[in-house]
Amino acid sequence: MKRIVLATLVVALFSGAAYAGALKLGSQSPLTGQYAADGNDIANGARTAVEVVKAEGGIKGFDDIILSPQDDACDPRQAVAAANKLVNEKVSAVVGSYCSSSTIPASEVLDEAKILMITPASTNEKVTERGFKYMYRTCGRDDDQSKAAVAFMKDFLKAKNVYVVDDKTSYSQGLADNVEAGATAAGIKVLGHEHVNQGDKDYSAVLTKVKEANPEVFYISLQNSATGALMVIQAKRMGIKAALMGQDAVYHPQLMEIAKADAEGMYLTFGYTDENAPAYKKFLAAYSAKYGKPGAYSAYAYDSAMAYLMAVKAAGSADPDKVRAAMLKLDFDGASKHMKYKENGDSGSNYIIQKVAGDKFINFWNPETGKLY
Amino acid sequence: MQFFLQQFINGITLGGVYALIALGYTMVYGIIQLINFAHGEFFAAGGYLGVILLTWLAAQGLPPVICIALALVLAMIYCAVLAMCVEKVAYKPLRQSPRLSVLLSALGMSIFLQNGLMLTQGVYDRAYPTAMTSGGFEVGGILVSYMQIFIVAITAILLLGLNALVFRTRIGKAMRATAQDKTMSALVGINASHIISLTFAIGAGLAAAAGIMVGFYYGSINYSMGFVPGIKAFSAAVLGGIGNITGAMLGGFIIGMVEIFAAGYISSEYKDVFAFIILILVLYFMPTGIMGENVDDTRV
Repeated sequence: MKRIVLATLVVALFSGAAYAGALKLGSQSPLTGQYAADGNDIANGARTAVEVVKAEGGIKGFDDIILSPQDDACDPRQAVAAANKLVNEKVSAVVGSYCSSSTIPASEVLDEAKILMITPASTNEKVTERGFKYMYRTCGRDDDQSKAAVAFMKDFLKAKNVYVVDDKTSYSQGLADNVEAGATAAGIKVLGHEHVNQGDKDYSAVLTKVKEANPEVFYISLQNSATGALMVIQAKRMGIKAALMGQDAVYHPQLMEIAKADAEGMYLTFGYTDENAPAYKKFLAAYSAKYGKPGAYSAYAYDSAMAYLMAVKAAGSADPDKVRAAMLKLDFDGASKHMKYKENGDSGSNYIIQKVAGDKFINFWNPETGKLY
Repeated sequence: MQFFLQQFINGITLGGVYALIALGYTMVYGIIQLINFAHGEFFAAGGYLGVILLTWLAAQGLPPVICIALALVLAMIYCAVLAMCVEKVAYKPLRQSPRLSVLLSALGMSIFLQNGLMLTQGVYDRAYPTAMTSGGFEVGGILVSYMQIFIVAITAILLLGLNALVFRTRIGKAMRATAQDKTMSALVGINASHIISLTFAIGAGLAAAAGIMVGFYYGSINYSMGFVPGIKAFSAAVLGGIGNITGAMLGGFIIGMVEIFAAGYISSEYKDVFAFIILILVLYFMPTGIMGENVDDTRV
């Protein structure tokens, strides 16, 4: 008797998991740990897209759309575990991850299982340069980001030298190396390139070095806005007079919440988003009603999930190859930017220089035209 | 020279924080031979309670000095009570069990407390009202912030207070007696159970003070902030000779200094490596740490 009950339970469990006719997608991002803020922005962005599509009547041929958010803690090992879990849950696409160092190993698992992976935030070049068929990227690339940063240093700030600090992740160090190489090529002297550890709070030793070098620009490439804020506070306290420059991972409202007046006037590279466009307004209304103020990558995650759902709608099935073909045909105005994926999975970069003014980021300088906004 | 002195001041500040946390590890180890992995969490909890109290007290229109003093004292009391509860729930029932069980219980408690903080306080970093303590002065090109003076002063006061408590009072004597021999001290009328609770409470109170100071110094706190300083402070306690109070203070300052100087003169990338190399070298030549762990008189 016991055995029959057990067997029934097991069958019930499995039939429950494989919900008939539902479209299942996953998300993976750091929901815990020090990058939890950005990770939750991504999960919430994907949730919003699913909610919006469901509220508008869902997708023909599917009873329901289910999102399974996983935590990878920005740890390569956990990222692979999360990807394997999503493979077992039989999802057809994954939005994520945040850290390039998680996206790269996770995509190897997902690509083999023919599951589409769309990263809203991993900017390291390698993400789309490994010839993976099912890998897409909604944000820009670090080689483009570093070009925008160097152009700003050279053409606008007219800087003669720069000091670079990173925190040793695939993303932050990769970007910092690009900036170093770009600056050297542009005739800007790199006075030093230091690495700090993830999880550090005390930057006094490194900042004392920066102060002694007395650079014109201090380029901060950290994996997170909270650590970026700590470095900005300590740099100001140390009396560093250089122009502060950051990048997309430091770009988050959290920077000003923590660093307050110390962040004033800091320059950051981030993709251009037209916040007056109807697509952004629609996203903002749906997102903020449930999840509050969007973070840096909320809109990108929303667009990533939206692009997938639109591709499924167009293809009429969740078959990976049909969806892939439909993905490449997409051409629409997303919340974050104009969405059009290329053959390699990239969707183009549109980095501009933004500046901190009060508790807001304002569009400041356009590297394409070399003009102020 | 200027560079050296600036780094020296940075090192003293960081060392003070490590020393305060290290004391909690060492006191608990001294008395029940337990490495209290949950100790870093009291540090984080203290930081959070500090910011909650500071915001509330400042809203009542109190002057900053009183706000900070009240927040410090209340957060220390809160964490002391929290530590006594943790001890009651997670360690006391295991007093007669093998040491490994208690160690696992401590690890579990650490995960529980950290996730509890995450659920109640959120995953975002919390900003500290740093305006209360901003500013500083320059002496011969060396920048000293009021915050650094504040940290060093509070650390010194707490360390001296603790020394007086342990070596000059009846409670301190009872603590030292319990550390030497629990059964014997019980026979002469010391309530070992109370003394153990008290030790946990004092250690957690010091960690809470460190949490608030770190919040002020760095400008923000988050729920997972206890882990890294916890590991460093534990190393400091081992370096000084675990179980030895003076050793923990010394260890804290040494680890802080080594980290800062390694970052300043070699590379910040390798600062942890140097901190741990020092730890390994000291343990290789002095297996019981700098001050030794079996000097019974100074052990708690």
